[in-house]
Amino acid sequence: MYEYSLFIIGIMMPYLTLIVFGVALIYNFFKWMFLPRPVMWAIFPAKENIVSIFLTIAKRIFSLPGPMKFDKLIFTLAWMFHIGLIVSLSLHAKYILLPHLPFEYEMGSIAGLLAAIGSFGFIIRRYYDKRAESYFADYFALILLIVTLLLGTYIRILKLIDPTQLWSWVQGILSLSPTLPPTNTLFLIHLFFAQIYMMYLPFKTLIHPIAIFYGQKVILDKRHLVEE
Amino acid sequence: MMEKLFDEYRGLSDKKIRPHEPKSEQFLKAFKELLDKKNNWTFLLPLKLTLEACTHCGTCAEACPVYIGSEREKIYSPVYRADILRRIYKKHFTFSGKIFGRLIGAKEINEQDVNALAEAAYRCTICRRCVLACPFGLDNGLVMREARKILAELNIVPDELKEEGVENQIMYGSAPKIPYEALMNILDFVKSEIEENRKNINVEVPVDKVGAKYLIINNAGDYLSFLDTIRGIVEIMNYVNEDWTFNSSRTGVFDNVNYGLFYSDKDMVRVIKAHLETFKKLKPEYVVIGECGHAYDVLGHLMKDLIPPEERPFKVIHIVELYDKLLREGKLKLDKNKNTKPVTFHDSCKIGRCGGIYEEPRRVITASCKDFREMYPNRELNYCCGGGGGFALMSKYNFLDFRMKTYGKLKVQQVKDTGSSTLITICANCKRQFLDMVSYYNLNINVSGLSEIVANALVY
Repeated sequence: MYEYSLFIIGIMMPYLTLIVFGVALIYNFFKWMFLPRPVMWAIFPAKENIVSIFLTIAKRIFSLPGPMKFDKLIFTLAWMFHIGLIVSLSLHAKYILLPHLPFEYEMGSIAGLLAAIGSFGFIIRRYYDKRAESYFADYFALILLIVTLLLGTYIRILKLIDPTQLWSWVQGILSLSPTLPPTNTLFLIHLFFAQIYMMYLPFKTLIHPIAIFYGQKVILDKRHLVEE
Repeated sequence: MMEKLFDEYRGLSDKKIRPHEPKSEQFLKAFKELLDKKNNWTFLLPLKLTLEACTHCGTCAEACPVYIGSEREKIYSPVYRADILRRIYKKHFTFSGKIFGRLIGAKEINEQDVNALAEAAYRCTICRRCVLACPFGLDNGLVMREARKILAELNIVPDELKEEGVENQIMYGSAPKIPYEALMNILDFVKSEIEENRKNINVEVPVDKVGAKYLIINNAGDYLSFLDTIRGIVEIMNYVNEDWTFNSSRTGVFDNVNYGLFYSDKDMVRVIKAHLETFKKLKPEYVVIGECGHAYDVLGHLMKDLIPPEERPFKVIHIVELYDKLLREGKLKLDKNKNTKPVTFHDSCKIGRCGGIYEEPRRVITASCKDFREMYPNRELNYCCGGGGGFALMSKYNFLDFRMKTYGKLKVQQVKDTGSSTLITICANCKRQFLDMVSYYNLNINVSGLSEIVANALVY
């Protein structure tokens, strides 16, 4: 039974996850790309060149000017969550190239905790917020994420998994010669939830970064720029 | 006493909404058409994106003037209003909504929701301040505008916008149905008044002149309610001695408004085409939009995407851009000591946030007035006055109370904080809303257009 679980979670699911995640992500991106936008109802001020358009989009992605201006709580939580998640994911992605990094456990633990606190803050905020209704799906995504993050952080803090063992497993998946993953039960639960979340992500939350590119455009218009 | 459909206010009559008549099926049919590429040839992408990608984080609420002005009532948050439509969308037009239903917020349409939406769609001025707050640039204001489009297919549109607005304008040349003779009398009066006040100058008021450099087309409401603005325009244009003209119903539409913007793409384009017919006859080099916000949004921006360039062989500018140009060219000589009282300026949503005009009025005002005080927030973050989206025209039932107790309350405080005795705005709808505020709250503030302020500062 345990071996079946190892096979399903550690060998079958990674491929399924990669396929679902990749296809859904590409579908989502192109779905919006091919939807017509014949009329541009822009929001000004406009930008005077392509460089400043890119800088504005980058600013929107990384510094969240809207939440910073209008809602400091969500701005703080979003920063904790995103920074934590980006560092955590980077420390997972490094297995593609190398098995170990200095201060990996320390960085990973802090990042995981930061992201989990951010997510927990989101849940509390949703529950008490009187501005918008939240539905089961909104809570489900966050709870799934918190469980995954906390398990991952716990595994890192207690150093329950040998990075070299993980690296071999990732290399096996990538080279299409899969091997069984590390046999720690907590790790397997973490892996299971992480993969469920990744398959769910493109249908829910991952639309958001895409929306930045297709939402209200930052437009190029020199007409109203101040002429000195 | 009309029944409650969304909140304690009513903007539309029972005769219009028909609360006891089943409308769900017709609503779904119109909604389906709205989601079709062939039928929604304006804003399909931002509409669908906002319906699908919103996470209900509620950040937009803190940007919404009606939400803040109402002491943060949940029903007035942009996401709450848009969710009435979003939940129906998920249930009837998405696969996941059909499968997971209420778990993801999808909801079967019912008559109460359609009735509530008919009013809720008119609790948002579509000022689009909420877009600035959204981390993803989603536009819940646009969702309300698109909801109005669905409702318009069910013939649920305020008479002030459709029958007394668009239809009058196309039929009579102006929404308030000003006859040609009356317009001429008004302009004669303006001419004689200026000549009386400014001795030794001969004032010309050209009307329907073909081939003039500047065709100035005003909000017809200005001829009736804000004649000082018209007087200002006439005096300034005579002062700079440019080749210009007004127009009248003899050449077509002489009212720059386009209320179609607020509820229907089809009617918006009908009005644009009526404007184009008029401009074709008059052949101006520039169409100058008089002091009006949404007219500038439509003719200055949206028209570029709706009408091919060969059908619009003229440039469109707002009158404040013309003043700014004339000032920088040295043709307008102004003495700021002629306007010494403290003034503040209201950035109209359709001229600023949707139009990009922020610095031009400031350059003109600081050249004309000695004591200019910014209101805060300003420019793209300025609060909507509450007259946008057609609201300035809507005062029936208890809708004036809604305008005053939400948007109005917030705006009054913002203006009071500047300590100014004059409020300048370059949009007729904003002026009307501010005048209502002055009377509702018994304020000691003078509401003014920019033209009369500039005219008063002219150096002869």
